[in-house]
Amino acid sequence: METLNALLSGFAVALTLQNLLLGFVGVTLGTAVGVLPGVGPALTVALLLPATASFDPTGALIMFAGIYYGAMFGGSTTSILLNTPGESATIVTAMEGNMMAKRGRAGPALATSAIGSFVAGTIGTVLLTFVSPFAVDVALKFGPAEYFSVMVLAFVTVSAVLGSSPARGLAALFIGLTIGLIGLDSQTGQARFTLGVPELLDGLDIVVVAVGLFAVGETLYVATYLNRGVDTIEQMKGSIWMSKDDWKRSWKPWLRGTAFGFPFGCIPAGGAEIPTFLSYATEKKLSQHSAEFGKGAIEGVAGPEAANNASASGTLMPLLTLGLPTTATAAIILAAFQQYGLQPGPLLFDTQPELIWGLIASMYIGNVILLALNLPLVGVWVKLLSIPRPLLYAGILIFATMGAYGIRNSWFDLALLYGIGLLGFVMRRYDIPVAPVLVGLILGPLSEQQFRRALAISQGDLSIFVTQPISATVLAITALVVIVPQAWRLVRRMQADAIGHHSPI
Amino acid sequence: MSTRARTDVGELLISLALLALGGFVVFETQGIAETQGYSQVGPRLFPYLIGTGLTLCGTWLAWQALSGGWRAMPDEAGTHAAPDRTGFVLISAGVVLHMVLIGWAGFILASTLLFVLVARGFGSTKPVRDVAIAAVLSTAVYFLFTQALGLSLPAGLFGG
Repeated sequence: METLNALLSGFAVALTLQNLLLGFVGVTLGTAVGVLPGVGPALTVALLLPATASFDPTGALIMFAGIYYGAMFGGSTTSILLNTPGESATIVTAMEGNMMAKRGRAGPALATSAIGSFVAGTIGTVLLTFVSPFAVDVALKFGPAEYFSVMVLAFVTVSAVLGSSPARGLAALFIGLTIGLIGLDSQTGQARFTLGVPELLDGLDIVVVAVGLFAVGETLYVATYLNRGVDTIEQMKGSIWMSKDDWKRSWKPWLRGTAFGFPFGCIPAGGAEIPTFLSYATEKKLSQHSAEFGKGAIEGVAGPEAANNASASGTLMPLLTLGLPTTATAAIILAAFQQYGLQPGPLLFDTQPELIWGLIASMYIGNVILLALNLPLVGVWVKLLSIPRPLLYAGILIFATMGAYGIRNSWFDLALLYGIGLLGFVMRRYDIPVAPVLVGLILGPLSEQQFRRALAISQGDLSIFVTQPISATVLAITALVVIVPQAWRLVRRMQADAIGHHSPI
Repeated sequence: MSTRARTDVGELLISLALLALGGFVVFETQGIAETQGYSQVGPRLFPYLIGTGLTLCGTWLAWQALSGGWRAMPDEAGTHAAPDRTGFVLISAGVVLHMVLIGWAGFILASTLLFVLVARGFGSTKPVRDVAIAAVLSTAVYFLFTQALGLSLPAGLFGG
């Protein structure tokens, strides 16, 4: 009941004319930018962060949430028509949806993806609404030791467990942590790693780092290695609407995808990659049309797209209740909060209820607007796909440099932008993941703060991290997620040796 | 795991760069004054840990590079076979010139030049079209962000 009241007052905030307009502008901009090939949700939110700067915190965050959701919707359109996934979570959609489009079923593929995203986004927001208060209750029991342990878990899962190589993931994490060290120490106010440069006292802005890695680095990479030939855009032939059979084959995958996506979004497991693959495998197993998989099965688009969007809502749970970002995109959203001096966490539900609940209410509204924007108007967005590559990347760089320069009107940020762009180029070239850099950058200083607070409480006794039950449990889970996959691999190898042949691992 | 005849120089260089960065972080940390305060832990501990972590990662990756190459690399030999260096240089020049020019030439002119250079870097052969689009886009973005969204961008040569 309390939650419902809070939600209702949230709607009162979100339905004011100004916030409704900001939400509308946010989802429209998010879709438009998210649809551009090569621009994933993380880059979209980083590029559009400056656009929100002049509004009050509530309005700005409502617009920002709209941008996030819009970018997710827009990204699916690109994947289906162009087969260039903007991020790893849309690989499956790109594969299966593009096959559907090749067979002349682009319309139903886009429709099942849009409606599935709407269903998953709405259910995800309902879950977020009703589970958050419980999560806040748990989070209120967290002291510095618990926060530190949870951050360690996030570091380990984002870098060492997910992705193709633990060595490269950890290297990326430590690069992010190193960048995070630059600036004034939060406890003593001492300058660290500023090399005597006054511009570095404030530390590196996450927008500069994100835009440098994603926009400048990616542009350099595409121009150097991928700028050959022309992408084939699948045409929108026939009706956008789904047939009765399409509906019948889609609704269960939507729900199952949501069931995969939301919980995976809530835990620090690197976002939507795992649930989309799980959803795809499940649908393939359960479908009566399993022979169609790989050639354009509608279930293979409906399920993973729902999983992707549900996990986006799930990601907001640890972000809002603990202040813990678990994906690159979430790290940038956290930066948007910090821009207003707000630290997401259980206390924010108490001190700024109208902001938090207004934000959650705006997500219900945003999902409806997105469905309306994406189904009938999909033809408009498709036009954006035919922008020639030179103009597209030239435009992206104008916005990238403007975002970096606009922070404090200093050429120094543009120099940093290019330097980080070069780093991003090298990382992309050698398959070093980028997300751990952003998570390390934003969580590094926070984790150090919590670590030192915890030791201040325990008067320097390190055992506080293992004697507090919640903290000890989280650290035990961290150890398990590191050890279990390694042990599993070892057992498999020993079995293979015992049988006498080597299985490719 | 496929073993390669030659060690990838790039992989080795990156590993060594990480090692060097780790060493640098540890070295610089010694210059931070140690004031413990209440927490018993001063501003040196985390930089030491992070510097050590970088060094370990660098060592790990260097070992991988020397023993058959980095593990689980995607097969992109075809993609990386013929890099377009001109494109790289043109885009870099665009970003660097933008940085140099934006202060006195202003946002619109600097962005127009950036746009044209990046488009050229991607192999555009229509400079007139690029300049026209660049000028319109830069001007539109300038007025949208300064007038409607309250960002401050330099007017430069057009300013009074």
